[in-house]
Amino acid sequence: MRTGHLKTSPGQLVALSDSPAVWAWVGALAVGLILLPYLVGNYMLTLVVSAMAAVIGAVALNMLTGQTGLISLGQSGFLAVGAYANAILLSDYGLPVWLTLPAAGLTATGISLIVGVPSLRLKGLYLAITTLAFSFIISHIILYSEGLTHGPNGIFVKGARLFGYDVQRGWPLYYLALALTAGTILAALNLTRTRIGRAWIAIRDHDIAARAMGIDLVRYKLLAFAVSSFFVGIAGALMSLQLRFVNVDVFGLILSIEALAMIILGGMGSVAGAVLGAIFLSFLPEVLRIGFSLVTDPNSTFYTNYVYEIRGIAYGLVIVVFLRFKPDGLVGMWRDAKKYWSNWPLAY
Amino acid sequence: MIATPPVASGPAPSAIASRPDRPVVLSCQGIERSFGGLRALKGVSLEVREGEILGLVGPNGSGKTTMVNVVTGFYPPQGGRITLYGDDVTGLAPHRVAQRRVARTFQNLALFKGMSVLDNILIGRHVHMRPSALGALFYWWWAEREELAHRRVVEDVIEFMQLQDIRDEPVEVIPLGLQKRVELARALVSEPRFLILDEPMAGMNQEEKEYIARFILDAREARGVTILIIEHHMDVVTAICDHVVVLSYGEIIAEGPPAEAIAHPSVVSAYLGERAAKRQRGGAAA
Repeated sequence: MRTGHLKTSPGQLVALSDSPAVWAWVGALAVGLILLPYLVGNYMLTLVVSAMAAVIGAVALNMLTGQTGLISLGQSGFLAVGAYANAILLSDYGLPVWLTLPAAGLTATGISLIVGVPSLRLKGLYLAITTLAFSFIISHIILYSEGLTHGPNGIFVKGARLFGYDVQRGWPLYYLALALTAGTILAALNLTRTRIGRAWIAIRDHDIAARAMGIDLVRYKLLAFAVSSFFVGIAGALMSLQLRFVNVDVFGLILSIEALAMIILGGMGSVAGAVLGAIFLSFLPEVLRIGFSLVTDPNSTFYTNYVYEIRGIAYGLVIVVFLRFKPDGLVGMWRDAKKYWSNWPLAY
Repeated sequence: MIATPPVASGPAPSAIASRPDRPVVLSCQGIERSFGGLRALKGVSLEVREGEILGLVGPNGSGKTTMVNVVTGFYPPQGGRITLYGDDVTGLAPHRVAQRRVARTFQNLALFKGMSVLDNILIGRHVHMRPSALGALFYWWWAEREELAHRRVVEDVIEFMQLQDIRDEPVEVIPLGLQKRVELARALVSEPRFLILDEPMAGMNQEEKEYIARFILDAREARGVTILIIEHHMDVVTAICDHVVVLSYGEIIAEGPPAEAIAHPSVVSAYLGERAAKRQRGGAAA
């Protein structure tokens, strides 16, 4: 950790980071991500795109749950709304993808306001249960409004073209996902460091004092629902593009749990934490698969048979272990490590 | 001795007459508030004049904090009328009251624990901030200048309150006395016209108390803030207040210049019991 805090211009006070090292790393990461399709195969690229959808979803959930303190188990519902809106508009109405993506986000926003209003008086566990009920209601509505959603048959997502490229596979999909992810992270960081993000955190930390500061609780809680679900809707739309088929079964409760696990694991309230947590958990099944293939005999189908169960257990384990031993998450660990090495070898 | 009747439910005419004739900032008339069967405020009427430091004192449970919560909109009154700078604000939501440039601190610290000292103070600027949601999302180009302007005000107050060393610390880890100062700074950055301090010196030692008292006087001097202060330390109250209102069981029992109001027999008996009041009267007679 640098100990110097000398600032020579006022702009440095409000910059995202004033450390050249940070910008250098961000630059290197950007170059690496842009070059990725040339470096790895299609399988890896598919994994990365799923991870990016998870990152968008986790960063969005972090606004609502991590920053505003409104615990939501409705993530899967909003993902479903975004995915279905995108699928219906693309496949059934033939709209271009640059229009269906924001439309998917806005649809999720619109529905979040319907959920958000009754949720304003609820806190903690009660809000969690309300949002959980919401996600079940959404899947029922999708199942029974066959005229719009094709009910249990699901929808094949096709015809997403951007600048003449098919953005549902390979590197065009990857670059679209990269742009959406970068945009979401930047927006989240900007919100965090302005009035709105500060108001959200104030509501989470002390809602009475927040009101005394002139923060309108109703407005800012609804805003948290609206902004968060916009990005969750985009994440859902991205999932639908990649999967090329949407069905109610894709959006089970496990997605909501997964998203919560991501932000707990990364460190609640931190944008960087949500990103790290999402990446970690997205690659966990892959790591588990490789791990199992190393310890079991090559012909064993144990992992493939129980993949769902193993993943569920792993998520649960990760949540319990982090809540017990590292409540500040990966970001907290990173901070501690920085502090330790900047003072090394002296203890203080 | 002023001729305030012991159970007067309104300001005694003589007490008002003794105050300088300045515009009225806050006027409460016949405020009623009950919690279940408990009548916490029984028709309290008081006035705060511009530029004065008004002390609201009284034994524990006398309704001081309830009064402040009624004024700031947290407990809408069940009877009576509140006007602020002539506007009726009775029953207005807390954030609406705050938008009328009324800032307050809380009896039990109400800082935002997850934030740094700086962010806590920046929140105080909320009522002056106007970037839209979209402006914040895509931020830098048109919101940077505004963010910087707010930052400048905040830095001024940080300097005024001498918090420079700890501005980047998480607010959780700093000592209580400093936390109280951060809370005062957070109230000051909103550039309030009317500031309500609920026991700003609770749990402080003599040195810290004097420090805060000086800040309060400076705040009025340099910023022209009108201040209502709830405080139990009578030495501080007599030293810095221009006018004192004493509450007991939800009623005003005395009002006037600090030394006189506090020495009033009904105040002495409310604090120390009837025997002490008698003894004091006996001493005065002898």
